[in-house]
Amino acid sequence: MEKINIICVDDEREVLESVSRDLDYFSDMFNIEECESAFECLALLEEFDAQQEYVALIISDHIMPEKSGVELLTEVAMDNRFLGTKKLLLTGLATQADTIEAINNAKLDNFLEKVWDPKQLLQMVKELLTEYIIEKGIDYEEYIEKLDAPTLYRLLK
Amino acid sequence: MLSQYLKYLLPVCIPFIILILPSDSFGIVGLTLIEQRVIAIFALATLCWVLEPIPIFATSVVIIVSELLLISDKGLWFFKTPSPDLGHLIGYQTIMATFASPIIMLFLGGFFLAMAATKYRLDVNLARVLLKPFGSKPKYVMLGLMMITAVFSMFMSNTATTVMMLSILSPVIALLATKDLGKVAFSLSVPVAANIGGIGTPIGTPPNAIALKYLVNENSISFGQWMVFGVPFVMVMLFIAWLLLIKLFPTSTEKINLNIKGKFLKTPKAITVYITFIGTILLWLMGDIHGMNAYVVALIPVAVFVTFKIINKEDLKRISWDVLWLVSGGIALGVALDKSGLAENAVNAIPFGNLHPLLLILGASMLCLVMANFISHTAAANLLLPLIAALATTMQSLLPYGGEVVLILAVTFAASLGMSLPISTPPNALAYASGNIETKQMAKIGVIIGIVGVLVAFAMLFILNKTNFIG
Repeated sequence: MEKINIICVDDEREVLESVSRDLDYFSDMFNIEECESAFECLALLEEFDAQQEYVALIISDHIMPEKSGVELLTEVAMDNRFLGTKKLLLTGLATQADTIEAINNAKLDNFLEKVWDPKQLLQMVKELLTEYIIEKGIDYEEYIEKLDAPTLYRLLK
Repeated sequence: MLSQYLKYLLPVCIPFIILILPSDSFGIVGLTLIEQRVIAIFALATLCWVLEPIPIFATSVVIIVSELLLISDKGLWFFKTPSPDLGHLIGYQTIMATFASPIIMLFLGGFFLAMAATKYRLDVNLARVLLKPFGSKPKYVMLGLMMITAVFSMFMSNTATTVMMLSILSPVIALLATKDLGKVAFSLSVPVAANIGGIGTPIGTPPNAIALKYLVNENSISFGQWMVFGVPFVMVMLFIAWLLLIKLFPTSTEKINLNIKGKFLKTPKAITVYITFIGTILLWLMGDIHGMNAYVVALIPVAVFVTFKIINKEDLKRISWDVLWLVSGGIALGVALDKSGLAENAVNAIPFGNLHPLLLILGASMLCLVMANFISHTAAANLLLPLIAALATTMQSLLPYGGEVVLILAVTFAASLGMSLPISTPPNALAYASGNIETKQMAKIGVIIGIVGVLVAFAMLFILNKTNFIG
């Protein structure tokens, strides 16, 4: 089984923990990492890259000191080593300008507003992971129980 | 109005007309029905590869299927009706086997190596390390780029190499001033080097593999032997191309910095890739010591990579099967021409014997060079090499000049040197898509390199013949 990572980024400890808790469903097959800043996330990405591990998804908060979530995700979107990595922005206070920038530059895959519904987050992550695994050509059969069936059928058809 | 339908009509009508003509209208004495059908298939192949009404690999498949239907011993019943003029039916296994000929396996091995190298980023990391010594002066950076591109395209497809190098290069080109001719020089350097580099090894580009099909028995050339003359040729041509580029398109920028991110991967899988890569190349080069030929060696990396899950079944789907089919169609065409006896008959019917052999080498190479500029290199080699090979075996006057090896190699090299238009090769098309090059700039470099390249190839073959390396 390949090691596939999900990275959560938020400067508030409680939010980070709550995202992790919601994603616990995936933890037996996927590795869930917590980062408290964009810089921490970028360092982690370098590390994963050197180990040739997959980074399937980055869930990031928008407003963080030093480097914002949109800036972080834009940087990831431009780096060809992380082609295909799914990006989810989790935010409460985004202006319309932020949203437009996020979609255009960071090539966001999904947008979720705080406070989120855990079920909705779970479903979103399921779909994004399924897309990532198929697009990357990873053997999907091993992960099938955690994947989203309709998305899987659509992509394999 | 009609002209847009011609490319569909001609490939259908002309072969059909050839099929129904009486057999004495071709001017070849004793032409059998089978041979006549081979002429029709050959015409179909030529028209389809030149006019491209269907994809070029599809043409190959059509050739193989037509051969199975028209000239195989298990073909359609009314094509097998015994008659004195029928000729020899060809075994269907022989035709089908072209899908899995050793040459196809050699290419498959090459694809596996290239795919693993890309997947484990051996290519980018090597490029980063190898480019360092070239500093930041634009002309030396360009020389470095060209050398690395050429080396990579010896083992990877020219197209994949070009994509990789252009992706490294494009952020830098974007920084150059709009009017700077350096943009043109850098954008051209990559496809030119990729096209030239492919000549260096038997797996560098499909025309080389097709040539191997006709270099058999006493004429066979091993992987290592090919590199002994291929690599120096590539080096000479690269140097010429580099001089041309810096003369014709001088850069006004003082300093250029290629920034390639990343580190060498050190995971067990990555290390397996490195070892297999080096091991395979060494085995290819040392064929005389261990006795395995290049085809057998090529399957070793395939086994290693699938065993260690370096190439998984999803990766398998991404192999360029179209290239393999394209090559096998050419081989099948050669088989038909040879086994039906047509090649020999046709060559005997035309008085090539009176032609001066040097004129023949020059004429055939130039024809191939011109064709390769307009159609795919593989298709050009597929069409010309079976005829050339048949011609060469019957021409005694060619022997003092190195015999068929020299003729086949000259034509093969000419095929790879066709690079004057954006449509000539996929690398050219990719570089043209960058928007930095005008067709006439590409043509200027391409025509000069094509002609100079053919002349350098002649010189090289002359030396090889004089030193008894070949022939």
